[in-house]
Amino acid sequence: MFILNTGRTITQGRHVEHKFHQGYAEVASTCFIHPFDLMDLDMEEGEHVEVASAWGSVVLKTESCEDLPRGTIFVPLGPFANHIIPPRTHSTGMPDFKNIPVELTFTERERPTQWDLMEQLGGKRYETL
Amino acid sequence: MKHYDVVCPFCGCLCDDLEITVENNRIIGVDNGCTLGNAKFMGKERLSSPIRRNGDGWETISYEEAVGYTVDMLLEADRPLLYGWSGTHGEAQCTGVHMCELVGGIIDSTTSVCHGPSILAIQEVGHPGCTLGRVKNRADVVIYWGCNPLEAHPRHMSRYTTYADGYFLDNAFRERKVIVVDVRKTETARVADEFVRIKPGGDYAVLSALRAIVRGKGDMVPASVAGVSRSQLERMVAMCKDAKFGAVFFGLGLTMTKGKYKNIRNAIELVDELSRHTKFTITPMRGHWNVYGSNEVFTWMTGYPYAIDFCRGIAFYNPGETSAIDILARKECDACLIVGSDPGAHFPRGCAEHLADIPVVVIDPVPTMTTAFANVQIPVAVSGIDAEGTAYRMDGVPIRVKKVIEPTLPSDSEVLGDIFARMKEATGYD
Amino acid sequence: MTELLIRNACVIDPINDICGEIMDIAVRDGKIVESVGSGAEVIDANGNLTMPGGVESHTHICGTKVNFGRYMSPEDMRAGRTARRGHMHATSGYSVPTTYGTSYRYSAMGYTTALEGAMAPLEARHTHEEFAYTPLQDMMANTLFDGNWPVMQAIHEGDHKRVAAIVGWTLAAVKGFAIKLTNPGGTEAWGWGKDVSSIRDPVPHFEVTPAEIISAMIEANEMLNLPHSVHLHCNCLGKPGNYETTLETFDLVPNAHDKRQSLYATHVQFHAYGGSSWRDICSRSEEICRSINSKPQIVMDMGQVMFGKTTTMTADGPMEFNLYRLYHNKWSNHDVELETGSGIIPVHYSRKNLVNSIMWAIGLELALLTDNPWQCILATDNPNGAPFVKYPEIIALLMSKRYRNEVFATVHPGTEHNVPLAALDRELTWNDIAIMTRAAPAKALGLVDVGKGHLGEGADADIAIYPIDITTTDPANAPQDVIRAFAQTDYTIKRGRVVCCRGTCTVDGENTTIWVKPQISENHSMEDDPEFNLNFDRYYTVRKRNYPVQEEYLHRNLCIETEAKL
Repeated sequence: MFILNTGRTITQGRHVEHKFHQGYAEVASTCFIHPFDLMDLDMEEGEHVEVASAWGSVVLKTESCEDLPRGTIFVPLGPFANHIIPPRTHSTGMPDFKNIPVELTFTERERPTQWDLMEQLGGKRYETL
Repeated sequence: MKHYDVVCPFCGCLCDDLEITVENNRIIGVDNGCTLGNAKFMGKERLSSPIRRNGDGWETISYEEAVGYTVDMLLEADRPLLYGWSGTHGEAQCTGVHMCELVGGIIDSTTSVCHGPSILAIQEVGHPGCTLGRVKNRADVVIYWGCNPLEAHPRHMSRYTTYADGYFLDNAFRERKVIVVDVRKTETARVADEFVRIKPGGDYAVLSALRAIVRGKGDMVPASVAGVSRSQLERMVAMCKDAKFGAVFFGLGLTMTKGKYKNIRNAIELVDELSRHTKFTITPMRGHWNVYGSNEVFTWMTGYPYAIDFCRGIAFYNPGETSAIDILARKECDACLIVGSDPGAHFPRGCAEHLADIPVVVIDPVPTMTTAFANVQIPVAVSGIDAEGTAYRMDGVPIRVKKVIEPTLPSDSEVLGDIFARMKEATGYD
Repeated sequence: MTELLIRNACVIDPINDICGEIMDIAVRDGKIVESVGSGAEVIDANGNLTMPGGVESHTHICGTKVNFGRYMSPEDMRAGRTARRGHMHATSGYSVPTTYGTSYRYSAMGYTTALEGAMAPLEARHTHEEFAYTPLQDMMANTLFDGNWPVMQAIHEGDHKRVAAIVGWTLAAVKGFAIKLTNPGGTEAWGWGKDVSSIRDPVPHFEVTPAEIISAMIEANEMLNLPHSVHLHCNCLGKPGNYETTLETFDLVPNAHDKRQSLYATHVQFHAYGGSSWRDICSRSEEICRSINSKPQIVMDMGQVMFGKTTTMTADGPMEFNLYRLYHNKWSNHDVELETGSGIIPVHYSRKNLVNSIMWAIGLELALLTDNPWQCILATDNPNGAPFVKYPEIIALLMSKRYRNEVFATVHPGTEHNVPLAALDRELTWNDIAIMTRAAPAKALGLVDVGKGHLGEGADADIAIYPIDITTTDPANAPQDVIRAFAQTDYTIKRGRVVCCRGTCTVDGENTTIWVKPQISENHSMEDDPEFNLNFDRYYTVRKRNYPVQEEYLHRNLCIETEAKL
């Protein structure tokens, strides 16, 4: 079991006004993980991983990061992380965006795009400008 | 043409010293800004006219049609949610409150998913704070707790703390000590004099241990608290007590994790405790450039900073019940107006899902993830680039954001004013 | 052209020496006129008490700290809420109502003009934003200079013209109305968690004393020719024994102006304590009033405390922290760079508490012991001493010895040994009340010439008609009738139209912001002063170019331009 942490990063922030771009999807679908944890999972950096919480699962791309404590992963805030974050607030109005137990499994599946995720929820992609 | 001392409408720092070069009504250069602000000023991909979802695709419609759709949607709704507001100026927020009052809806800002818990804590114990200049000129100890300014508020340290000139400090950079408390070693942690790494979810325990040490009860503290050694905690307390002026800044690392508002309450009470020894202040690192403005506007108009429900005629406030996440998760609202924010990207899936089932109007200059759920999106001028208005910095200082190019689209307050005028007309309210 | 005729009004208009005369009042286009045509709208006052609209010369109702009082107090918001109805928006709050709540409740009590007691220049924009949502009162803002760095530096250098120039530039830039000093020097010391303990105690680093700040600012005020005088919240607020500081401060004040006072001392009740601790605190109202009675150059307001829950809020940050350490409730503080501070805590004044009972008595004593009612204005430092909705009860206490005795019998039994109140037999008259609630505040603020506080020809048609017949009511024996009458007008008229009728506001309203712009010669202007500009951009976190409050925030406004003597 891992602990999922989400938050801002500078690259996420740079793309936040341009969320329909592929660049945003790249950033927001990154799963930062300690290199030793990657080794334990028998995975290489850049391989895809399915991250599953009690609420759902999503496919992300791994990126090794020694700044993280072992046993934790970090995903920039955005639609990918939110795909597995529970909408419960314990009567505070604030969901648990940090400190969420998740399971990681190697996968060969592709990452969805941000629009794929929105369409899964009943939305409609908007791509023409 | 060059515009000086332009205000950046990106984050709660509201830096007001940008230099923007404009040619032929296009921004061609930004000086003094950070990478986040620059990206916003240089952004080009805006919608040029309102769009409507049409079966399996999208069609362009007129402002007239878009406004009419919004008026009908709000007037026909039983329980409309008016959400967002942090990405627009105060004048538009005021109109939003009046609209919400008229239809007996719920109005909430992005506060409920950023510093809502901080406000709950402040409502329990108060808030010993100050403006950022007070910190800049005096602080010799700065604590960043659960926040990463180098990535989320990139100029915070250079304008207000570590790298800023201070009147009472000869060599501010050397004289100021920076303590960073976080679960990961962030970019900010790398420049700290003292990095305190906490195990996820351990903030409350560490704050309690610090309070015990400040009170002289350090012997009660175990050798290690949430991964932090007692000796490091004692060192931190000594630094704080020796400070002439200490400033705590905290972020979503405290508000979003286990304990939520209780973490903030504990942090405020630590500052309260330290105030009996020396000068100490605490400030939330507000994210959106005008999220604090939404709290100010909502408060003077309704009495409450966010999550206000007008369904009984009076203003009713109960975060956890009347906050956007809960309203959506319970599938309670039957229409949604979203202004200047992106719940499609930033709300848990279980909330965004409900947006697909109800009529939604989005007022935003650019396509966002929420566009996917919109029945209609109305593009507007960008506040701070081609529209003017009031914003409140993270410390409550009000600043007028300017326009540096001439707008080709109406501003938020114009579009909302138009919608509100037609709502009043339709309901016979004068 | 719109015309209005108020018939059969029993008028008290102290500025025009009218006291209880039955007469008609004619109004055209928002001003009082000699007569109107037969087509004028008519209001029959039925012989009821009719006075100029109330003028509030010290209240905290708009701006950063007021809003923080709301923000941190959902319990207070829940304690007073009304739904949207007609022209009235929903309101919340008891001691710190929302802007609409404040405006409607003042209007129902006949108040048509109010001075916000404390605005930090850096946050002035916020105050002006809230003014726009306080639609039924004309508004102006006291502007805080108690810890202003460039001002203190100029005082230290002995350059009082520069002091005036800085003050003048700042007032015009932030669209302020008057100079406010809150615990001068103390708010800067609070930047290090310290305070000043007397008017001779130097401010850390800046090496000026509160006494020097007060004197220099009085001088600057008159150099700038401002309508109002310096408005002072004395040092040592709320401390036992502080009356000595207050008396010393009063002794500093020259008689520098022929039409009004040279110092407005606010909420003097909080500054009139004898004793050396909370155990032996006592009233020194007699000494304070002796000083006031011999100094026509000083006007004060009562700062009356009334029992019940309220919220305290002031720029006096250190005082609020001290108070917090007594109450242990919740505490907010907000220091403002280079300028001032502020603090907020909720309090409950209990009649069972000896100190609170003494405070209650002192406020009344100040009003009863001041010979000339023009020198003692009725106010609670809203909401610090009590929310302004308590004014009718205060009026009744001042007009009825019997009612005072009734309330006195319910307070802490130790009170009578520490205050002279029980020995005071004076009962104020209707005319005294009219002076203390409209004529004197208008005169003290320097607003008589712009048409406030009286009903003479050319005055603003701001009028309050109270449902009471003063020819048949004996206020000494009918305090409840007095309270009922002052709690709600039959009509409140603003700029010539009825804005509130028996508690219901009848228009959306649009107020006027009154502000000052001193004309300063170019060689003293701070516009291009290199030292001022350099330090500004170096030590403030807002650029000088972005600091002035833009015209967009003024809406309807009245700029009083003055000729500065520099």
